[in-house]
Amino acid sequence: MEKIKELILTTVPEAVIEQKQKLTVTVTYDKLHLLAKTLKENAALPFDTLVFLIGMDRGEELGVNYLLSPSSDLSKEIVLKTGTTDRENPLLYSVTDLFETAHYNEREVFALFGIRFINNPDMRKFFLNGDWVGYPFRKDYDTNPELNPLSIESKDIIDIAPRIMEVDGKLVEEEVNIFGEDDYIINIGPQHPATHGVMHFRTSLDGEIVKKIDIHSGYIHRGIEKLSEALTYPQILHFTDRLDYLSANINRHGLCMCVEKATEIEVPERAQYIRTIMDELNRMDSHLLAWACQTNDLGATTAFIYGMREREIILDIFEKTCGGRLIINQNVIGGVMFDIYADFQKDVKAFIIYMRDKLKEYDRFFSHNVIALGRMIGIGNLSKEDTISYAVTGPAGRGSGWSCDIRKHIPYALYDKVDFKEVIRTEGDSYARYLNRLDEIEQSLHIIEQLIDNIPEGDICAKTKAIIRLPEGEFYSRVEACRGEFGVFIESRGDKFPYRLKFRSPSMALVSAMPLICKNEKLSDFIGIGGSMDYVIPDIDR
Amino acid sequence: MSSVLKYFSGLFTGIRSLLTGMGETWKELWTKKVTQQYPENRDTLVISDRFRCELTMPHDENNEHACTACGICQINCPNGTIVVTPKMIETEDGKQKKILDTHKWDLGMCTFCNLCVITCPSNALKFENTFENAVFNREKLKQQLNHEGSKMREKKKEPVAPKVEEKETPNA
Amino acid sequence: MILNYSQPLEITNLTSWLDTTLRSSMSEFWVLLIEFVLVGVVLLAAYAVIALILIYAERKITAFFQARYGPNRVGKWGLLQSVADMIKILLKEIIKINRSDRFLFFAAPVFMIVASMLTFGAIPFGKGLNAIDFNIGVLYVTAVSSLGIIGVLLAGWSSNNKYSMIGAMRSGAQFVSYELSAGFALMTIVVLAGTMQFSTMIEGQRYCWNLFNGHISSMIAFIIYLISGHAETNRGPFDLPEAESELTAGYHTEYSGLQFGFYYLAEYLNMFIIASIATTVFLGGYMPIQVHGWDAFNGIMAMIPTYVWFFGKTAVLIFLSLWVRWSFPRLRIDQLLNLEWKYLLPINLVNIVLMVILVLTGLTLTDLFPGLF
Repeated sequence: MEKIKELILTTVPEAVIEQKQKLTVTVTYDKLHLLAKTLKENAALPFDTLVFLIGMDRGEELGVNYLLSPSSDLSKEIVLKTGTTDRENPLLYSVTDLFETAHYNEREVFALFGIRFINNPDMRKFFLNGDWVGYPFRKDYDTNPELNPLSIESKDIIDIAPRIMEVDGKLVEEEVNIFGEDDYIINIGPQHPATHGVMHFRTSLDGEIVKKIDIHSGYIHRGIEKLSEALTYPQILHFTDRLDYLSANINRHGLCMCVEKATEIEVPERAQYIRTIMDELNRMDSHLLAWACQTNDLGATTAFIYGMREREIILDIFEKTCGGRLIINQNVIGGVMFDIYADFQKDVKAFIIYMRDKLKEYDRFFSHNVIALGRMIGIGNLSKEDTISYAVTGPAGRGSGWSCDIRKHIPYALYDKVDFKEVIRTEGDSYARYLNRLDEIEQSLHIIEQLIDNIPEGDICAKTKAIIRLPEGEFYSRVEACRGEFGVFIESRGDKFPYRLKFRSPSMALVSAMPLICKNEKLSDFIGIGGSMDYVIPDIDR
Repeated sequence: MSSVLKYFSGLFTGIRSLLTGMGETWKELWTKKVTQQYPENRDTLVISDRFRCELTMPHDENNEHACTACGICQINCPNGTIVVTPKMIETEDGKQKKILDTHKWDLGMCTFCNLCVITCPSNALKFENTFENAVFNREKLKQQLNHEGSKMREKKKEPVAPKVEEKETPNA
Repeated sequence: MILNYSQPLEITNLTSWLDTTLRSSMSEFWVLLIEFVLVGVVLLAAYAVIALILIYAERKITAFFQARYGPNRVGKWGLLQSVADMIKILLKEIIKINRSDRFLFFAAPVFMIVASMLTFGAIPFGKGLNAIDFNIGVLYVTAVSSLGIIGVLLAGWSSNNKYSMIGAMRSGAQFVSYELSAGFALMTIVVLAGTMQFSTMIEGQRYCWNLFNGHISSMIAFIIYLISGHAETNRGPFDLPEAESELTAGYHTEYSGLQFGFYYLAEYLNMFIIASIATTVFLGGYMPIQVHGWDAFNGIMAMIPTYVWFFGKTAVLIFLSLWVRWSFPRLRIDQLLNLEWKYLLPINLVNIVLMVILVLTGLTLTDLFPGLF
């Protein structure tokens, strides 16, 4: 990392380097792109993954934090910070040409903070309508409902994207049409059986072939990050279950870890065991649902019901342990809320045996079915370079040969103590993603098997202070959720409320890759690929 | 020749995989059905003790509860589901004392996060697993948890054995 | 050979009694008129009843494949469920779609139902239980059943909905392709049976079903007919025109109430029609199982009414179709066409030639073992 510091200073001599929780580099807005490019293209340790892109209202200044990692070693991290004091017309330079995943994140920052990015090819607001008054995540946002009245009028969608490009050193404002004149456009969503939630894909078709996809999101955006700024840390916890509700426990684990690291709370051993086991049960629950939905998207309704049937057993275990089935409220800061119940080990062990048997059945029933193979092999190809550029993590990223399992790279909880295999395939098609999920279920079973008999006695939760205050600073934590890397960023100003809270949602990266991999595929395959990516919409519409 | 071979081997492996799949569904045709026959199975239905459905304030046989009307649950509730109204009374020795007047909870707003229960310093609240909460009117979801005419249990009695050991002191 | 034993349960007794009674009291014209009306009413009623039974059976069998119970709330074991559904469909509002082609929109479901009605009428349900017995029965059925596609195409076009349109275009491509295979498979058997008339064809299968008579060739034709028939009825894994995870409901997305009911009925009836044609052509139709020389056995078999034989065989085929439907994922449109044009059709063409050779060289089972079959 010393070399990297040198590299930064030679590239941008006036950069301010601080060692906070992460190595933090602050630069002026005109130098950021250069620095990011240098970091990405240096031969020794290319920082080619954009993990976080966080819009910030720092009071005087509007800015963005970028967390970069090398794709080969996700444990190395650099935070780049930049900002502008122009609150009327804030302009920053886009990094979309370096990291594709920045595209939608920058559009999100534009919608919520009003920062426009020069050279981003499509600078429409993401999540919000173009005519929304004000930028909700700014600290001085006017919440008066009369400014943005509820409209019951039907509005036409305008497929024109404004953007600011830099041509020969001058800024040019332009507008581009998303679709051609004669395109046959159909709206897949927001209400559609196969979008897995309230997602809206405007799709132009050439017969059955998908030519272009334009993603509209935000139909169920709840502003959780903004809401959190007025709540105490224990209160925020209940929101995390409602992001990606299928990896509720893991999301919550991520936020708890972030607070625990910041306040240096030691989590008891027993709590770590329970957390890890519950996380893995949660992962299986999610992967089973993903499997079921994917088969359903491919038209096999029967397989869908089998998947749901097996998932039910996990939900029953959740219900008995923590009184919830989907939203399970298990983790709290310092440990877990509920101890395991008397028959927990027995139930889980019975499930392990049952699930292994069912995995074999899935294999015979669907994994080798000639129709299913035809619908998955070679469909929705995502190359490793694109995977990294779009920051597609989780089973989908590992299906394209990118080792991106946070459990291996930055072990947390008990993942450094258990033996498990990171499932990686290199094909990058729907089938690789499909098989990855089934194999990860097997790995989860394996992890649980190692832990279930060794749960130590002891406390399930550390004693915490009456009021949990985070010290001043910026805190990051990253966990491996069911769909990929889930991240939490908290900026604290020493209060009991966070100054800014940001969740990195794995689903957003998955969806942002959809236009790329669905291009020139058939309409049916678009649905099938969507199933194989397995995004969850509330995770995107935070 | 190899393409012909490929054509037929593809055909036959395809057919075999289809037949295997049909074999699995045939087996499933005779397996036990998993649908729960609610409400017929109400008598045998087991709902986990910890299942959170309805917030209650346990009262003992003397119609006494443990709530001191401190309002910590109300402060901790993330979305304002709980409203605690205290009232002041004069005790026998002439001191002013704050006691509970009404403890209101809105089922329709509750996210069942359990924060009120784990932060309550006197273990006065508990989530019950009575899950049949459907009503015809939204007003009926708003419940008063303390019973009519109930009063606070005296200190000397032990409170109901706490369900959750771990306790977080509230952030008042 | 004439059946020389009593068959107390045959409906033929009833019909011939009715015919004689009528004829004894009125003129030829009136007799025919009354009989036509009666036949029409009975067919319509049978159409509706069979569809209701099929819907119930499908839901129940599907549920059992999927580890569920299926409908079990309306009536004992949910027996009245499909009746309740029918009443619901009849009561629902027929929604008029803005900017749709009103006339075609209303005409489309009628095309669909008329096509399946016309085919339905030509099916021999039992001995003497067919409305009409053409000498070109097979040809007629093939021709008339393909009219239904017009209903689908019109529905897709007139709904002014892009999803419907895509569904209809898919359906068109699928139907035209698979019609070929189904036709060729039937022709293979026509070569074997030497007739296109259903009654003669069934009579010819007294001791040996066409399925066994032409052994290899018949088996192939049978499988191909089942696949392509299944595809023609737009049911999974060939349900692309209404692929619910892709096109919501495909060509009938915009229909409601009775018009949707027409499509729904037609879909189930088409499944029944395909199964019953397969029964008639391959499995000896309403003919009971008969073995040369086993007179006692034959007598017992013949005691069971012919329509029970017919519906029994058809039910087995329908179960097969449900089993297939609920086991496989859906094909994509290019795979669907691949299957037809690269596999089924070439195999089919070779198969016809094979059958001709079998028949000409006397290699069918009846030719090889005349005493046995």
